[in-house]
Parts: sequence; structure tokens; C-alpha cells
Amino acid sequence: MHGGTEVVPLLRAGLLQAETLVDIRGAVPRDVAPGRIGAGATLAQLECDPGIPDVLREACRLAASPQLRNMGSLAGNLLQSTRCWYWRLNWPCRLHGGDECFARDGEHREHAIFANDYCASAHPSDVAAALLALDSTVRTTTRTFPIAELYRVPTEGDRRTTTLEPGELILEVTFDECEQSVYLKAMERKRWAFPLVGVAAVRRPSETRVALAGVAPTPWLLTEELDAATPLPRNAYKVDVARALVKRARATIGA
Amino acid sequence: MARLIRTEKEVEGRYEEVWLVVEEDSLDQWPAGPRQVVGRDAVRVDGRERATGQAVYTADLTKPGMLHTAVLRCPHPRARVTRVELAPALALPGVHAAIGPGDIEQLTADCSFQGAAIAAVCADTLAHARTALRAIVCEFEVLEPLLDPDEAVRQGSLLGPARERSRGDYERGLAEADVVVEAEFRTQVVLHNSMETHQAVVEWIADGVEVHISTQYIWGIRDAVAQGLGLPPDKVRVVCHYMGGGFGSKNGPDDYTFIAAELARRTRRPVKCALTRREENTVAGNRNATIQRLTVGARSDGTLTALGGEFVNAVGWDGWSSGTEGPMQMLYGCANVKTITYGAKLNLPPMKAFRAPGFVEGTFGLEALLDELATKLDLDPLELRRRNHTDEAPEGNAYSGKNLLECYRRAEPHWERRHEVRARSTETVKRGVGMASQIWYGGGGPPSYAWIRVGSDGRATVVTAMQDIGTGTKTAMAQIAAEELGIPLEHVTVTLGDSDRGPYAAISAGSSTTPSMGPAVRAAAADAREQIEDIAEQRGLKGAPLADVVDVLEDSQILGKGARGPNPTGMQVLTFGVQVAEVAVDIETGEVWVERIAAVHDVGRVINPLGASSQIEGGIIQGIGHTLSEERLHDPATGRLLTTTLDAYKLPTIADVPEIVSELVDEPDAHLTNLGSKGLGEPPIIPTAAAIANAIRDATGADVRQLPISREEMLRALREAEARQKEKVGAPAGV
Repeated sequence: MHGGTEVVPLLRAGLLQAETLVDIRGAVPRDVAPGRIGAGATLAQLECDPGIPDVLREACRLAASPQLRNMGSLAGNLLQSTRCWYWRLNWPCRLHGGDECFARDGEHREHAIFANDYCASAHPSDVAAALLALDSTVRTTTRTFPIAELYRVPTEGDRRTTTLEPGELILEVTFDECEQSVYLKAMERKRWAFPLVGVAAVRRPSETRVALAGVAPTPWLLTEELDAATPLPRNAYKVDVARALVKRARATIGA
Repeated sequence: MARLIRTEKEVEGRYEEVWLVVEEDSLDQWPAGPRQVVGRDAVRVDGRERATGQAVYTADLTKPGMLHTAVLRCPHPRARVTRVELAPALALPGVHAAIGPGDIEQLTADCSFQGAAIAAVCADTLAHARTALRAIVCEFEVLEPLLDPDEAVRQGSLLGPARERSRGDYERGLAEADVVVEAEFRTQVVLHNSMETHQAVVEWIADGVEVHISTQYIWGIRDAVAQGLGLPPDKVRVVCHYMGGGFGSKNGPDDYTFIAAELARRTRRPVKCALTRREENTVAGNRNATIQRLTVGARSDGTLTALGGEFVNAVGWDGWSSGTEGPMQMLYGCANVKTITYGAKLNLPPMKAFRAPGFVEGTFGLEALLDELATKLDLDPLELRRRNHTDEAPEGNAYSGKNLLECYRRAEPHWERRHEVRARSTETVKRGVGMASQIWYGGGGPPSYAWIRVGSDGRATVVTAMQDIGTGTKTAMAQIAAEELGIPLEHVTVTLGDSDRGPYAAISAGSSTTPSMGPAVRAAAADAREQIEDIAEQRGLKGAPLADVVDVLEDSQILGKGARGPNPTGMQVLTFGVQVAEVAVDIETGEVWVERIAAVHDVGRVINPLGASSQIEGGIIQGIGHTLSEERLHDPATGRLLTTTLDAYKLPTIADVPEIVSELVDEPDAHLTNLGSKGLGEPPIIPTAAAIANAIRDATGADVRQLPISREEMLRALREAEARQKEKVGAPAGV
């Protein structure tokens, strides 16, 4: 456990069982250098560091309340579980090994508009979308890989949402410089809410990358038009919101 | 002299006839305006101990040997418990007792809503109790719940008969109208979310019981507990010195008090039973959802000729069908009004009073409808309301006092800002201004009593067994006593919160604490003052300061007593007001910002302007949550609740709070008691949602019809407005 802002609520809700908690704060680096961030850096540390690209600073700043940002670590934020209320209430949904996605036929206004036919959960991390747009690389105790490979859309055969193996720790995240970047976030109140839609956009001479938070079971790299979204009956509004924010984000970074 | 009367008592808009002994209220009101202490800003007399954490709330209370409780609650909206075994829980370490269905009335095997209490365990620590709770074997037969309010009305699943209210000839009124507007409005379930969850610590002492409880009604708890436990009421002591929020949800003892009482009886230990946040947001009550199908007819000059509505209160399994039709019946001088209100009984947790129940919801519907009418008639919304204002109560008794026109007048500078506000719109962010009126009760009433003692040091202590539910009434009472005695506020102490230590005090609900208690405190202080004046005369010190008169009395004390006099006969005591909201709407993303709200209310004499402004701010902030972000959701298929935690249920944060400007007319109600003060707890939340919705219409032309105004609802309304606009523009130029 690092900051505990995710683990403690999961333990209290009975979604996570543990006999022993290991404090990893001494084992995980928290240094911040240009293009290289220790996995234990807090969101509060990153949001005010001028060496950090705007997209990541803004994602950290808008991610949570000041108290949570003071405690929450970078890697912990990347590994958050979904806010899907069915999952959080421990309904026997597909992510919990069951055979039904209750959100698809039920209350899904905060849920996924992409890759939602098996599980409609939405990935809640603003920071993950920012790092995906930055085309970051993740280094763990055993391997180094593009951040997109940290996540997986759950399937019938494998319900996991990340590719981390037991005992594997994220140590740091690295990314190349960029010219311009921005993070825009739609939420249900001004602060301290998970994204309905978060839009991270990064411009480099070679390409512009746009990644979304809150729209799919994983952070979502936008490679096609938003018309390709497959919203559910009560979350089609998210497509409109995403379209507007993507347009603005692109305009802001001159892409 | 004491006088026996038959009178109407009103709480939260519900009237009942009661017998009362009242004492004549012989004091003349003070002249209007600020006095030495009353009418001037006072910081809270208990602010320091609250802010430093020294104040002991029920949640902070521990007693030697105290046990903690966990309650097994039904996870299903409707189910029968087919098997329950407490033995495995009792076998665990630290567990002292467990009770189940049949042990007390509050535990049931026949569950009609999610959260119904089935069993309870008490243990040395809360952790032990929770572990033991998981060991209880409980099996259910899950039954089909009734969740749809319209379906409940069709099936006749109602709490009481439908309420029909009518005056004039509604059909004729509609026929006489030049314009008719119809619309359906929906409001959501919202949760009180008191910071201190519902809880009690119960201990049996000798032949009686002591109940520490977070409550809005010490004396109501005393009587309900006495009745429930079969004790004489004087064997029940109820204590609540500080209270962490109630908003209408803490008027009764609920299940947790009786669970604690039974476990305390069995274990001979003090027992605490405290709701968790999830329990709080499941069974502690809620503002029920409503469906409002409304019609207004008007002449082209704006004169209302007909108002009609079908109101469905989605009450839940228990509670009552609140006065959602009240604003439509009471706010305007329309001659022809016809409403019918249903209270749908559903397999959902019971509603409870929530800060102006019914009127918050009904004002949203009515005042949004009126602005749709104003748009159709191309009339200024404020002017439309002025044209339909009345000083003659359209139904029932005459007003004891009404200064709504003065509220409108004082709101004008805020209303006039709309041109400048609209001008700050951009391509994608549209700005506008909206207003809505407020009507509500808030007169309080007898009985309520206070005692006062004045020592030879010239200091006074007010003694009354009332509660301060966090609104600052303790401070207001100190101000009233200081004013009447002519001594500084710092020389008055108020002791309250204990039924064994002071006389009866009214419930803190229905905006009634200040208007109920204030006159009693003033009467007690006046009783003491008159005695002190007698002493002054005997000492040849007539007109001298109080401290100089009593300084030779050593251990002698001057004791005064006071009672709340009757309300004016044949009159309705009501509060009025208006709010003006300024909003910005991002028309691409559906985001709504409230940028400013100005509030002008008429609640009679203001005792503490500083306290009053903070009440207004609190009401408006709670209103913004109701309007924009809060909603208790349930799964449509099973009815199980989805948003009972503070991350899923979105209360506004400080970042959502706009500039708030407040003003009070501060004109004593000449007919109401020796103070002329009405309550202010509820009025400020009433018009907020409607004012915001109307500002959105002003900004964008979109008619929002549903709370909360989520992005989904905002974007839907914008699309609808755009389609309407296209139709209008497109028609003549069509191919």
C-alpha cells in the first residue's frame, strides 16, 4: 500500500481482503525529473512542478480533493479500480466473475461509451489518460512497456483490467518532451469527482495524441472519430461532451 | 394567566388541532430595527467549542463500559427473511448480545424496503460488532418490488387518500385563458447527508433510561421512547447538547434508539447505536422524488386565470405525502386552482421531512412553468409575478404579515443586472438571470417555555430544554435575553439540550425554533426584569443599570419564567421571499455554473443578521446541490440503491458555491408574539432550483424539466430548444 486512498476504501467495502498490508513507500522511487517520474510521487507533488507537461499537471490537479492528492501516488492512481457502482457494491458482475453486466441494462449514465459490450465500466483515472496521450513508458520490477499495455479490456476468458502480475510493482513512468499539451475534464461538480469525460491531448512535431478518461474500461486512445462510440441508452450525452472537449483540446494545443 | 385553548398547530405545512394551555403574551413588540443587541451581528456563543473540537456531540460520546452496535439491514427492497440464526454471532469474542425479528418491534422478518432492520449485535468494539454481524446466518425469499410511482397510483398503493384541493372554477378559468402552458416536471430523491449520522447512546439508570441522541426534538424523543419502552415520560432523560445536522431527518427516535435501548437492557451496559454513512444514506430518510404534471392559463396581460396540477409524491414505504401542491395553491392570487396529490407507497426507503418538504419540489415546477408562460407572453418574469401578487390570502385565513412586494422591490437591482450578464455571453458560454418566489410557513407556536436566573453579579442564565441543531438558535436566545435585561450579550449564558434540566421546548423543524422559543425567552427575561425593577425602586435606584441594582444580593437570585403565547387567531403566519440567480451554461458540454445568487426574504424581525445570512447561504448551497448534482439512484430492475457513499452521491463542494448576496426585509410581524420573528431555516432553499432553471432558460432558451440538471438533461433541453427554433425559423422559409 502506498497512499492508501484506494486500498483502504476497498478494504472497508470488503472488495479486497488482506491479512497483511505492506507499506511500499520506502521501496518505490518518488523522484521527479524531466520526463521521468517515480511511481511514488504524489499527485500534489506533480501538479505544481513546472517541469511536468501541462496535460499531466492539470490531470493531477483535477483528479481529486487536496487531501487525496496529498496522499495519492502516481502508480496508485494508474491502478485504481472502476467507480462502476455495481462493481463497488460487489454485485456479481462480470468483473467480479459473474455472468452479467448490470450497468448495461441498469443505471449507466457514468459508464463506458467505447468497448462496453462485455463490461460497461469506465476507467476513472485522469492521470492515466494524460500519460497515455504522452505515449509514456512504464517500468516495473520485471519489465518495461508502453503504458497502453498496462491495461486490458476484460473478456470472458480473462476478467482482469491490468496486465500486472502478482508481486510486480510499478517503479517509474517516462515520456518524451512535448510541445503543447492540455487536459480538459467534465465532471458532475467543480471538484472532487471522477471524470464523466476527460480529454488529454499532446502535440509533438511527429504527431498529436488524444486520450480519454471515463469513456471505456481502460484509458482510451482516440484513433477514430467519436461517431464510432457505442453509447448505452442513458449515456449518449457523453459522446457530445467528448466531441466538444476534443475539439477544444485540439484547438488549445494548436493541433 | 394560563388559558386553555383549542388551536391549530402547524409543522412542516401539516396542521393538527391540539389543546394547549397558553399564557397571555402581554409584552409589546420592540420597535422595528436594530436594538442594543437584537438585530445586530453576533458571533456564535458556542462557536469556539464547536470549532476547537471541545463540543461533545453524540458521535463523540463514550461512556465507561459502553458497547457498540452493528445492525443487519435488508439488502433487498422487498423480501421475507426465511431463516435467521444469531448463535454464530453470539459465539464470537467481544460479543455481548444479539437480537432479531420479534425481539423488538423495530426488527422485522418482513422487509418492505432496503435497509429495514432485521437483527443487531452489540460488542466491546465496533469492529467486533461488525465481525459478529457477518456471522449471522440470514436467508431471504426475494419478492418483486413496486418501484414506479405512476404504477403505484394506478394500483392504488397510496399512503392515505389522494388530496384534492380546489377553488373557483378551474375549467372556466382555462376557457378564459388566452394562453395555456402545460409541462411535466420531475424531481429526484435527495439525501440529507447530515454530517453526524443518526445515533444514540442509551443507558438504563435505576428505574429509568438515559438517552443521548442526535435529535431535533428532545421532548418528542422523550415521549416516543417512554411510550415504546412502557415507561412514564419522567423516567426518560433525553440529552443533546450539540447536533451535527438534521434538516428534518432527526425528528423521531427511529429504529436505532430502540435497538440500543433493548441491547442496553439486556447487557446492563450503556450501548451506542450509530448509523454508518451507507446506512445513513439508505434509511435515515430522504426528500422523495416527485412527478408534477402542471397547467397554467393566463390572459395576454399575464393575469392567471387557471392553475392546475397532478402531483405524485414517490413517498417510499412510509412517511407522508408532502404539500408539493402548496406553492401552486398559495403563491399567487389566481381565482381558479385545482390540484390533486398522490402519495405513492413504494418498496423504497421511507421519506422524511427535508428542509421545506414539498415546497422545494413544488416551487421548482410552478416557478419554472410561470417563466415558460412569461416567455410565451413576452412578459418580464418579475412583472408577471407582480401582476399576480395578492395581499388577500386566496384560501384560508388572512396573512398575519406579508412583504413579498417589498422583496421584489429590493430584488430589482439584482434583476436589472440581467442585461449586463447576458452581454457577457460568448459563442459557447451563454449567461442569463432567473428569479423565483418563495412561500412557506415558519410561524412556530406554543407551547414552549424558558426560565431565567439572574445573580448578584448581574449575569443571567437562560435555562430551557430546547436543542440547537446547528442553526445558531442558542446565540439568538442569548441575544433576546440580553436585550430584554439590558445587559451585554457576554453576560448571558444559555443552557439547553437536557430534558431533565429545563422546561419543555418545541421541535426544531418547520423553521420554528426562533419563533417558538424566542418569545418564551423574552417573556422569562421580562419577568426577571420586572422583579429587578421592583428591587430598584426599593433601593431608590430606579433606572439604574441592572448590575448596580442586584450587586448587594449576594447569593439571592432573581428567577423569571416565560411561556410562548398563542399565534394570532384566524390568521396564517407565512414567510416570503425571492431569489435571483445568475448562471453560465456551456452549450456544447452541458455544464452549468451558478455564478451569483441574490436572496431577499421576509421572515419578520431578524434577531441575528450574521446568523441569518449564514442560514441563507446554507440553504442556497444545499439548493444548488439539489439542482445540479445530487441524486440517489436505484437499480431500475431490482430497486437496490446505488449511490449511498459520498463519492457516488455528489454533494456540492466549496468550489461549487457562487457569490451569495442576502438581504432581509426585517419588518416585525405585528400580529405575531412579542417578537414578530418568523423562522428562516427553510425559506432559503425553496426558490433556488427554480431560479437557476429560469436563469438557464434566460441564457439559452432551453426548458429544463428535471432535477438534477445533469449534463444529460441540459443537453436534451438545449437540443429541444434548438429544434423548436429551427422549426420556427425554418417554417416560413421552407421549401
